[in-house]
Amino acid sequence: MNDSKILSGTGLSKSYGELEVVKNVSVSVNAGEFVCLVGKSGCGKTTLLSLLSGLEHPTKGQVILNGKEINGASEDELALFRRENVGFIFQSFNLIPTLSAWENVALPLFPVKISNEERRQRATELLSQMELGHRLEHLPSALSGGEKQRVAIARALINKPKIIFADEPTGNLDSATGDAIMDILNRLHTKEGVAILMVTHEAELAKTANRLIRMHDGEVIS
Amino acid sequence: MNVGYVVRELYHQKRRTLTAILGLSIGIALLIILNALSMAYRQAAHAPLKEIGADITVQRPGDVPKDLSGAVFPCSAVTIRKEEIEKIQSLPGIKGIGKAVLLWVFDSKQAWIVLGIEQNNSIGPAILRAAVAEGRFLEDGKSEALVEAAYARQFGIRIGDTVSVNGSNFPVVGLMDASRSAKIAVANLYLPLADAAGLAASSKNLQAVSPFASGDVNLLFLKADQEKTAEISASLKGILGKKATVGTSDSFLKLLGSLFALSDKFTLAASLIALIVAVLIAFKTMAGNVAERAREIGVLKAVGWTNRNVVMQLLSESVIQCFLAGILGLLIALLVAFGLSFMKINIPIPWDMAPNPHFLPGGGDQIYKTLRLPVHIPWTLALFAVLLSVVIGGLTGGLLGRHVAKIKPSEVLRHE
Repeated sequence: MNDSKILSGTGLSKSYGELEVVKNVSVSVNAGEFVCLVGKSGCGKTTLLSLLSGLEHPTKGQVILNGKEINGASEDELALFRRENVGFIFQSFNLIPTLSAWENVALPLFPVKISNEERRQRATELLSQMELGHRLEHLPSALSGGEKQRVAIARALINKPKIIFADEPTGNLDSATGDAIMDILNRLHTKEGVAILMVTHEAELAKTANRLIRMHDGEVIS
Repeated sequence: MNVGYVVRELYHQKRRTLTAILGLSIGIALLIILNALSMAYRQAAHAPLKEIGADITVQRPGDVPKDLSGAVFPCSAVTIRKEEIEKIQSLPGIKGIGKAVLLWVFDSKQAWIVLGIEQNNSIGPAILRAAVAEGRFLEDGKSEALVEAAYARQFGIRIGDTVSVNGSNFPVVGLMDASRSAKIAVANLYLPLADAAGLAASSKNLQAVSPFASGDVNLLFLKADQEKTAEISASLKGILGKKATVGTSDSFLKLLGSLFALSDKFTLAASLIALIVAVLIAFKTMAGNVAERAREIGVLKAVGWTNRNVVMQLLSESVIQCFLAGILGLLIALLVAFGLSFMKINIPIPWDMAPNPHFLPGGGDQIYKTLRLPVHIPWTLALFAVLLSVVIGGLTGGLLGRHVAKIKPSEVLRHE
């Protein structure tokens, strides 16, 4: 872990009509750092994650991700930026049900002009690292919850991102499987140097992080 | 676009894909069949004229003869004068002309329907040389006759006999098979045009009703530019009077009475309805598809697919789906067309065009031209239908691009 900032959000606010969900929040994540964003349900964690990852534009404030200010970027520019710089892990895995495990992993590469063999090779390597080398051709419906989340992690890594945004990655898993997923995430940030910003409401999981950001009612309280 | 993803999506969502393909294919099949039927009826309507080698027949109705003895004109076909024929020949769009003289001849022992024909003109009744069942066709410069086979049997006439018609004698050189001959200008005795014209010119009864001179006739068969038929019909009425009987494909089409025959507008309207229904089905299915897959689209956008990438994916699915629907629609249409081609239709020939005396046995009976409906699907129509399906797929997929652009990954991926 080093102290150079990979992500910085300054004075971020997000309103939906009259409702202000995120209120003047400033956060930053250093390269290789594992940061947990904790707070009760509905406190604005996921919205803040969306603002920081470029999935959503803030009403006010500035986001600098991997050295680029992303506030003014168009939707398509943001999509291209996400493809090259960030990875996502969701609570409900969000795998494409009609695609096999390796194809799901290679999904971000589909619009990229590389050969199918190369896509498959890169996806296979990552799935092997996730101990899913034997499940390459399986559809998501044939995978267990833990396997699905490992496929999703492999997908998040396919573009070698500097930072991964994880939104309740163990929320749909039993505790043993959840622990296994957390082990993978910890390994990613300690061995691979990938920064992780993880949203969770489970205090136990947050203990493994380098740093905690606590939110309450749209504001960062510590 | 990723072909594997497109194919998997269509394959795994079988129900949605099949609904879209079946719905659109039925619309496309309807479009093809309606147009093929319309073309078939048009083609069928031309059949009575085609078998006499003409595109238009022309007659002028007149008075009923006071005394039905000797040679007379049927009241549906009286004299068309030589000068009038010359005017008609010079009309724009006329490609050729055939002339004939149709007479009723009442002798003391029997009645004849006589048709005088130009032996070597392929426009008009001489085209029927193929209908000679026995003997030979009329030869140039010879005064000889052909007799309709059933009539010959009834009166014991044989090849080599001489028949006497209104005092003139003609050797019989052949027998005509009526079932193979045209249904327009049906006769039981066929003579060279000059001989029939001679019988007409020498008949006092005929001259009293409709003066007839050398070069005049009472039936005309025209070969004409199909595009100018309506214009020529109007000109013919201008020359011969408003009561002139002008037989065209369109006039036979009206006699057929089918909805397909009655109006191009019906076919157009029905085709449009079929098409609109097909487009709506395709659009509804695709719109449902986008709504159902909002979360999937959100994932694609989150992992770096641009709107264009997502639209191209959906567009490819839509185009392939619609292309398959077009092919299936074409196959359905081919099957239906094959079935319909066994259907027989009767085209009524107006009495005016095949006049026979009412008081003779069988006289006044309605004559029909019976034929199998010539339904076939031209390759141009097939290609148009398949291309149209692809265009529908493209438009539908393209229109849905707007919906795709509105899908925000942050909203659809918000966890449960």
